[in-house]
Amino acid sequence: MNISNIIDQQTLDALIKFGINVLIIILKIAVVLGIGLLHVAYATYFERKVIGHMQVRLGPMRVGPHGLLQPIADGLKLFFKEDIIPEKADKPVFYLGPVIFMAAAMVNLSVIPFSSHFVIANINVGLLFIFAMAGMGVYGIFISGWASNSKYAFIGGLRSSAQVISYEIAMGLSLVGVMIMTGSLNLTDIVKAQEESIYGMFAIPQIVGFVVFTIAAVAETNRTPFDMPEAESELVAGYFTEYSGFRFALFFLGEYIAMFIMASMATVCFLGGWTLPWYIKVIPFINYVPGIVWFLMKVYAFIFFYYWIRATVPRYRYDQLMGIGWKILIPVALANILITGLVKILL
Amino acid sequence: MTVREIVKRFTFIEIFKGMALTLKRMFSHAVTIQYPKERRHIAPGFRGQHALAKNQAGQAKCVGCGLCATICPSQCIHISRAKGQVTKYEIDILRCIYCGFCVEACPYGAIALTENYEYSDYRKEDIYMTRDKLLLSWDKYMPGKKGEDYFKKFWRPMSEDFGTPPVQAVFRGKKE
Repeated sequence: MNISNIIDQQTLDALIKFGINVLIIILKIAVVLGIGLLHVAYATYFERKVIGHMQVRLGPMRVGPHGLLQPIADGLKLFFKEDIIPEKADKPVFYLGPVIFMAAAMVNLSVIPFSSHFVIANINVGLLFIFAMAGMGVYGIFISGWASNSKYAFIGGLRSSAQVISYEIAMGLSLVGVMIMTGSLNLTDIVKAQEESIYGMFAIPQIVGFVVFTIAAVAETNRTPFDMPEAESELVAGYFTEYSGFRFALFFLGEYIAMFIMASMATVCFLGGWTLPWYIKVIPFINYVPGIVWFLMKVYAFIFFYYWIRATVPRYRYDQLMGIGWKILIPVALANILITGLVKILL
Repeated sequence: MTVREIVKRFTFIEIFKGMALTLKRMFSHAVTIQYPKERRHIAPGFRGQHALAKNQAGQAKCVGCGLCATICPSQCIHISRAKGQVTKYEIDILRCIYCGFCVEACPYGAIALTENYEYSDYRKEDIYMTRDKLLLSWDKYMPGKKGEDYFKKFWRPMSEDFGTPPVQAVFRGKKE
């Protein structure tokens, strides 16, 4: 029996094409997910090493040469730990919290352009999508803080939602300058616009926006010096106090992936993504280096900056935190938008 | 607000100063001693686990006079004598504060503090020092010349160098 009797050639071609596309997307997802999880494992190692050396210690040294297998040992330990659920917790919501938090962080990986042709979903509202998903992540935090039925978790959740909501405004406003300069919300377009501009990267004309974004990104991912939601000296561990075992690991994964997302956002929107400015491209042979290398180098430089700040700056007081967000960052970001818009219209 | 304060506030100058410091420290040598692999240098005269000194003939120098037990501030030395022999000499190490008064008080240089500090164990009884254990730790940590020099260098017991200290509680060690 011939297959063309059942289905005509054109439909078959279309179907095969569709199948191949789906397969490619699934492969891309697998690659990004695998690398993302591996990134989390070694980002913790990188963090402990960097902060250790900044504090004149060594960091992990025992498991494997220079402690290289430490993240794997940690993962195994978390996997086999007892999963404790508080008796009076709101159980369905308690289960849901970490999943929402991690899923909201991981979905963002799909719109990040890693290099010129490697992006899972090249959508036109990429930037808005990331904001929306970052907003979703707060639900995970707040839900887990509420459902734990513990005062520490509850205060942590409250603080986190207040903080993330106020810093999201500053972050959104800081990126409006980039949107004005590009005229697009598509992340790939933003990178291409930077490659074509005379500055090579938006961090130079948008320096104010970049600084605001950097500060807001630290606050957005609940990292020191803005780690009020998980301030261990006051709140045990904040919103995930009652979580243990693999549920705790989900929060951990979510936090480190959120850091990766924020670093990628900074790279894509301000540091030129996978491209190099024309004044660096003059160096011979540098064009043979694949774009992903530059992308990852910029991302890890930004993540290193995160760690560096953590090793240096002590935690802010809560009212100072809110003061910085509302009284400094938002007005500065608004002024930046105004100036960028005026320059765009007048020139 | 002066201009200076405004500049300070908006350039984050102080945060950058701190960050420069942490970056500088990052490339300095770590002070960590990786304990089981490497050990800290033990200062001479270190006051660790106790030992009962032996003389040239291999006999315990202790005569059981009880001066050490008397002076011990935490009262962790228990001695009993019968028929001119020391029948019991025990130190409850968990109560000892390593002040070294027992060594200072001993006129014969019969008790010593060795350089051993790694004697943690799972049971209390294993750490409790009996006379046999104390003599054994002398053989182990103060063998030969080291044991002889120990008292001469750091304690100079009364039997060797009798002199009234000019003030109370004076370190009788020799300055090198």
